[in-house]
Amino acid sequence: MEMTSIDLDVDILVIGGGVVGCAILRELARYDASIALLEQYPDVCEGTSKANSAIVHTGFDARPGTLEARLLAEARQLWPEVIARLHIPYLQTGALMVALNEQEQATIAREIVPKAAANGITLQPLSRAEILEAAPYVNERIVGGVLVEGEGVIDPFWTTRAYCEHALLNGAQLFLGERVNAIEVGRRRLRVRTENGKTFSAALVVNAAGLWADEVARLAGDHSFKLTPRKGEFLITEEDHGVAQIILPVPSEVSKGILVTPIVFGGVLLGPTAEDVSDKRDLATTTAGQQRIREGVGRLVPAMTTASTVRQFAGLRAVSSTGDYIIRPSTVSERLLHVAGIRSTGLSASPAIGHYVGTLVAETLGLRLRTSYREALPEPLSEATHEDGEVVCLCRSITRGEILAALRSTLPPQTLDGLKRRTGAMLGECQGNLCLPRLIALFQQELGRDPLSLEKHAPGSRLLVERLRHLGSVPAHSGERPKRGQ
Amino acid sequence: MRKVQMSVYTLEDMLLMENMHEGDYDVAIVGAGLSALSLLHSGGAALGRTVVLDYQEQVGGLLRYLLPADGFGTEWELLRDFQLPPGVSLLLQTTAVGLLPAHDAEPTHTLVVRRRQGTMQLRARQVVIACGGVERPREHDAIPGTRPAGVMTPVLALQLLAQGYLPGRRALVYGDSRYALATARRLAEAGLEVITAAPTSGNGRSVRLCGTLEEICGFPRLTAVRLLCDQQSVEVEVDTLIYATGLLAGTHWLKGSGVALTAAGTIAVDAHYRTNIAGIYAIGTVVRPGLDHEDSVRMGKEVAALLPGGVS
Repeated sequence: MEMTSIDLDVDILVIGGGVVGCAILRELARYDASIALLEQYPDVCEGTSKANSAIVHTGFDARPGTLEARLLAEARQLWPEVIARLHIPYLQTGALMVALNEQEQATIAREIVPKAAANGITLQPLSRAEILEAAPYVNERIVGGVLVEGEGVIDPFWTTRAYCEHALLNGAQLFLGERVNAIEVGRRRLRVRTENGKTFSAALVVNAAGLWADEVARLAGDHSFKLTPRKGEFLITEEDHGVAQIILPVPSEVSKGILVTPIVFGGVLLGPTAEDVSDKRDLATTTAGQQRIREGVGRLVPAMTTASTVRQFAGLRAVSSTGDYIIRPSTVSERLLHVAGIRSTGLSASPAIGHYVGTLVAETLGLRLRTSYREALPEPLSEATHEDGEVVCLCRSITRGEILAALRSTLPPQTLDGLKRRTGAMLGECQGNLCLPRLIALFQQELGRDPLSLEKHAPGSRLLVERLRHLGSVPAHSGERPKRGQ
Repeated sequence: MRKVQMSVYTLEDMLLMENMHEGDYDVAIVGAGLSALSLLHSGGAALGRTVVLDYQEQVGGLLRYLLPADGFGTEWELLRDFQLPPGVSLLLQTTAVGLLPAHDAEPTHTLVVRRRQGTMQLRARQVVIACGGVERPREHDAIPGTRPAGVMTPVLALQLLAQGYLPGRRALVYGDSRYALATARRLAEAGLEVITAAPTSGNGRSVRLCGTLEEICGFPRLTAVRLLCDQQSVEVEVDTLIYATGLLAGTHWLKGSGVALTAAGTIAVDAHYRTNIAGIYAIGTVVRPGLDHEDSVRMGKEVAALLPGGVS
């Protein structure tokens, strides 16, 4: 191995700061080992983890016998404690799967109910009348359905951050904006280099790079699997029309279909579509996709066909060539552990994936539990919001105190989208166009960030290109100025 | 996003902090934009004990960032010459977050407002909702494509310029209202290369490209937009899109208040700017969300004459 200076030497290095990588980091923090996480984006939860249905799914429809089904089942047991210890906002809404005709009703009885039973979940059959009484917003043309009681909704950003913050609290290190571009596999240690020229050395590397996990594997010379992106488009409406449950269609061969999902903080999420694409950065929404969503949700909740939208987005799930989770050592070294192909169930299974991988790593390296470990995050501070009640985000009534609390947190935002996800500012009708300059000023005041360096989300997404050269020229009109103090 | 109960200040507490009247107001005006200023200008001291509150740190509403500008002479004069009439309290950086209309037990309307010191309540016999609205972003119209940096509405671009920053180098301004075109001129003066575009509207104002915005392209920064011009898709390379298609009435804070809205989301008023609730009026953008604010000054003037105790 060539001689390069090592910037950081750790026992375990996790590549990827999505919900899976952060859940693993949190579990590894239980052990007496030095750990660090590298994330290519300036914030955690930027890949597949950020654009999904935000459902904590029971796994009732998972293929029995797969690792995915097993970990989803384990996660069901772990979630209550995770939610309580990390103080994550969660709503157990339940899900209603509704049949629009006798054929779909038959599919539920013949396939869905037995599969759920095999996964340890009893579905409660409901008549048309029972469904319409509980959920009067559902299409009157339904013939019946089932209730999946354990399904709920959560905030994926909050969850991912909470995992990460909990790990940081227990001594983990986090490196944001570090994209891995080389991996050297040695006999006892691996060296990981990033585009910024940093070199990390670790006894074991966990590859939790989401959609890019196959490319990270290839950097180490492992070509054993391939991931392809499947795009899912969504739209958000603030017209909830009373929607209080997740409404599911009866799935087809290719897709679970387009759902109607309440959002934990209010509003309703419509989608996703499912379209195989070739570009792992293709997050564009399309007219056709948005139309498909409208058609899909219209069958379930007719009012959603025309509900006004405040935002649309797309996410990419990682579809693996194997059809199941890929959690195993690489073909080139026992010291590179892949956690890949997590598809669309990463959020739901994350506590169990974390636990499974943590145990696996501890066995491989012979780790012992730490003697001092903090089991929970501290209660979210409420005093901070008292500090300043002035409304900064007009559309959402988010106060300066709330913004300051986020900027002063353990894992402060590095980008404007990061601040958006931590506070809810910029999520309203105007999408931040009114308050963004105020937020830029608060970033500068609190974190010393030069406004010119501030990015929206991804590296290269700067908002401002330069300072005006002739400050006096704007506004340059009649020369008259408004009077001060009015 | 977790809401925390904030300390509630009484009016008495506030009296210590601001030079405010004791007890109830005759008129509370929500918003200090053009329509409110016009109302104050026409109504003056005759309105009685009046309080005006606004989210911003200055009066003049969203147009404040544009003015002075060609074609906005009346608005600029109003703003430039505006004097707060005697007996009127002005609370800036103060945002209305709720309205509890008068009822049997409480004969005055109550506004719940938030400001630095916390949440407080203001009581008034008459309320004029002149809170305007926000600019309609590309998300509202579900324009397809990517979500790059460099896509904004005029109010963001104008604020960034005012803070001394260039938001981009080559901008397409989409919209042909006088506000959109004045924004385009301001950007050009600041040194941006500006292309104006709008769907064919026939309002007589000239834009360089006639076409409908079809797609936003590029990531992480905007690289181009696609317009459908004469059934031909045209790609225009720009790093900035100023989406200037309209305003949305700012009514979200009225949820649950009982103030009736129209199907279009504006506050429903009669010919005398009366809402469905006695003693509550609405004027300006919140009633008619045109991007050009053409009616705001007139509405303010008219409602001044209609308010009980007002001048004619």
